[in-house]
Amino acid sequence: MKRLIAITGLVVLVAAIVAALSVAAPTAKTGPEAKLPPKPRLPALPAEVRSRGKWQIGVKCDTPPFGWQDTSGRNRGYDVEVARQFARWAFGSATRVDFTCTTTASRIPTLESKRVDMIISTLTWTAQREQQIDYSVPYYGAVGRLLVRNSTTVGTLKTWMSGKKVASTSGSIYDRWIKNCFKDTTFQLISSPSAGVLALKNQQVDAFMYDDAFLVGVAANDPNTRLTVHRFLDVPWGIGIRKGETSMKAWVDAAIRGMKARDMFWPIMRRTVPRRFYPTFRKNVPSPKVTPRYPRANPPENNCPA
Amino acid sequence: MFHSPVEILAAFDTGFIWDYRHELWEGFKNTMKVAAIGVALAFVIGLLMGAARAHRIPVISQIGRAYVEVIRNTPILVQMFFLYYGLAQLGYRVEAFTVAWLSIAIWGGAFNTENFRAGFEAVPARFREAGYALGFSPLQTFLNVTLPIGGRIALPSSINTYISVLKNTSLLLVISYPELTSVAYNIQANTFKTIEMFTVLALAYLAIVWTLSALIRLLEARLALPERA
Amino acid sequence: MPEIPDWFRPVAEYMLREGLPETLKIAAVAVTASTLIGLLLGTLMTINFLPLRSVIRLYVEVWRGIPILVTVLFIYWLPAFDIGPLRIQMNAYASAAVGLTLWGSAQVAEATRGAVQSIPKEQHEAAAALGLGWIGRHTFVIVPQALRRLLPPMVGLLVNIIQNTTIAFVIGVSELLETGNRQFENLTLATGNGHPFTIFGFVLVVFFIISFPLTLLARYLERRLV
Repeated sequence: MKRLIAITGLVVLVAAIVAALSVAAPTAKTGPEAKLPPKPRLPALPAEVRSRGKWQIGVKCDTPPFGWQDTSGRNRGYDVEVARQFARWAFGSATRVDFTCTTTASRIPTLESKRVDMIISTLTWTAQREQQIDYSVPYYGAVGRLLVRNSTTVGTLKTWMSGKKVASTSGSIYDRWIKNCFKDTTFQLISSPSAGVLALKNQQVDAFMYDDAFLVGVAANDPNTRLTVHRFLDVPWGIGIRKGETSMKAWVDAAIRGMKARDMFWPIMRRTVPRRFYPTFRKNVPSPKVTPRYPRANPPENNCPA
Repeated sequence: MFHSPVEILAAFDTGFIWDYRHELWEGFKNTMKVAAIGVALAFVIGLLMGAARAHRIPVISQIGRAYVEVIRNTPILVQMFFLYYGLAQLGYRVEAFTVAWLSIAIWGGAFNTENFRAGFEAVPARFREAGYALGFSPLQTFLNVTLPIGGRIALPSSINTYISVLKNTSLLLVISYPELTSVAYNIQANTFKTIEMFTVLALAYLAIVWTLSALIRLLEARLALPERA
Repeated sequence: MPEIPDWFRPVAEYMLREGLPETLKIAAVAVTASTLIGLLLGTLMTINFLPLRSVIRLYVEVWRGIPILVTVLFIYWLPAFDIGPLRIQMNAYASAAVGLTLWGSAQVAEATRGAVQSIPKEQHEAAAALGLGWIGRHTFVIVPQALRRLLPPMVGLLVNIIQNTTIAFVIGVSELLETGNRQFENLTLATGNGHPFTIFGFVLVVFFIISFPLTLLARYLERRLV
């Protein structure tokens, strides 16, 4: 008992010394990871946003862990947290943002019709979309996966896909990729990610193709489904901004870079996924060590497997 | 972006419609397929259940009443969800197509039951009595007297129901059945030509509904009863 | 009385607290506007002036011919445009209300036309004999009588509009069906069992409780008034 007290006391003492040192030397440069001020220098907010006093941001409401709503109607998820951080930095409070629910099929029209300032809604970069809208710098690196029933075995993607029924959401990168690269596959549209899961479980489709973060959670919760080993369309997500709105893009890019330098994305990810998935997603989020980049030289939707 | 309705019209770009004509045609065919089955079943259900209710056949009449009241007092969208996810929950492997025609047939049948019931009940009693006087059994009276006359009385309201059934196929978007509205929605999701697509969609439905209405009313004119006493 | 499962209470409360008021709000606006606009248009349709009649007839046939969902989608996705200094862009709630109103007013206009035209000529002649002009005749004699015949189908229309508010779900309005669907999706993903029968059954029950008394009222009015 006495030894226990002694050890505890020693640990507390060491912790106090470390804390004192880090507080006492806030600007101590310890190599390349300089201690940054809590808020980066951001360019001026676009005029309309500044006068409004809050953001209007389009997010997903049906895609955990990125955008969903709980029983009290609150928006939750990785994308939503990024939006709230923007609100803190722009207006000082995480509540200064109005969320609009968008689906994969409606997010770009919602942006273009000026209903929202930007869309943070699991928006993968594609060359085709970039003709229509502007992208911020990447804020998440996703990979496509295939969800199947336990009884299905899948060899190589190209051979297996032929003649099968695969589901995904309307307007997604998977929509275009399957129609471009897998002409023998019956592409089944579903209205929401959870409808895709149900379609798979009810044997209406052979596989459900979607983003890794979402599918990993589904496979974990449902012992009758599993992910295949295939990883494809390794393309980051960006925040969608209307073409030509340079002040908006400048602000958003600066904010993302600021969050990346301060390693703020990882704590957000940790808050939105269960602990056992931490290793899976550590490399997906931007951080001082990880910089997702858009594959501009090689647009993903034309990247058909050999 | 746009400053006046005129500018919106001027900026319309409908070239992509030609590119997607194949998908749109498939969507149209699917709409008509489901509508045809829905109308046919609504006719059969309406006829049989309406007759049962008009003649107050025990048990069937009560079940019919419950069926009619529930379907007519709840939204068809919710009925579609209930069927689509409910049947899957029960373990049935149902395609979207099955739920599609089933849901609109059930909906149309409920409204049509009331149409036919009102029609049959409007047949003057003396016609039926004349039938009995001629030696017809109740069933024969129904087939030879009540049905032809009552059916024609019910024609206008039945036609309204059938056209509503056709229009309600647009709601099948929510269960991802690839009918016309669904296809249009998905095309705009990939081409971002949102308002152009929905304008064309609205015009397409007008063309379909107006054409069919005109044809049906021609038919109605030929089938209608002479001026009733 | 079956035991209400634990998970159901917060879901049901959420649906009733967030979804039901939206449904009722849209219905209230759509019914009021449909009635006012429809009565006006329907009465105007009876004037023997072909251009006016044709324009209103076109309005009626267009908004009754296009499925309500397509009308609502069209209005919602219209680009914002300016009328004078005013920028018009309707949010989801307004788009749904306007879409329903266009359809509802077309229905009311058609029904009004039928009702007004069914008033016997003697009424017109008697009112004219009393020295009333067209407007006076219609305001004090014809339309009040037509209203009596209209009341049962109007209550029926109210029921119809309440059901059709679910169309707003497609453009993202958080009405009753949408809130139910949201919870169904969450439960499906979190627990594998979304309880569709309970959730969508609950939505059906709520709509039934609201609509059925109105349907009975319409029948009662039909017996008493017509």
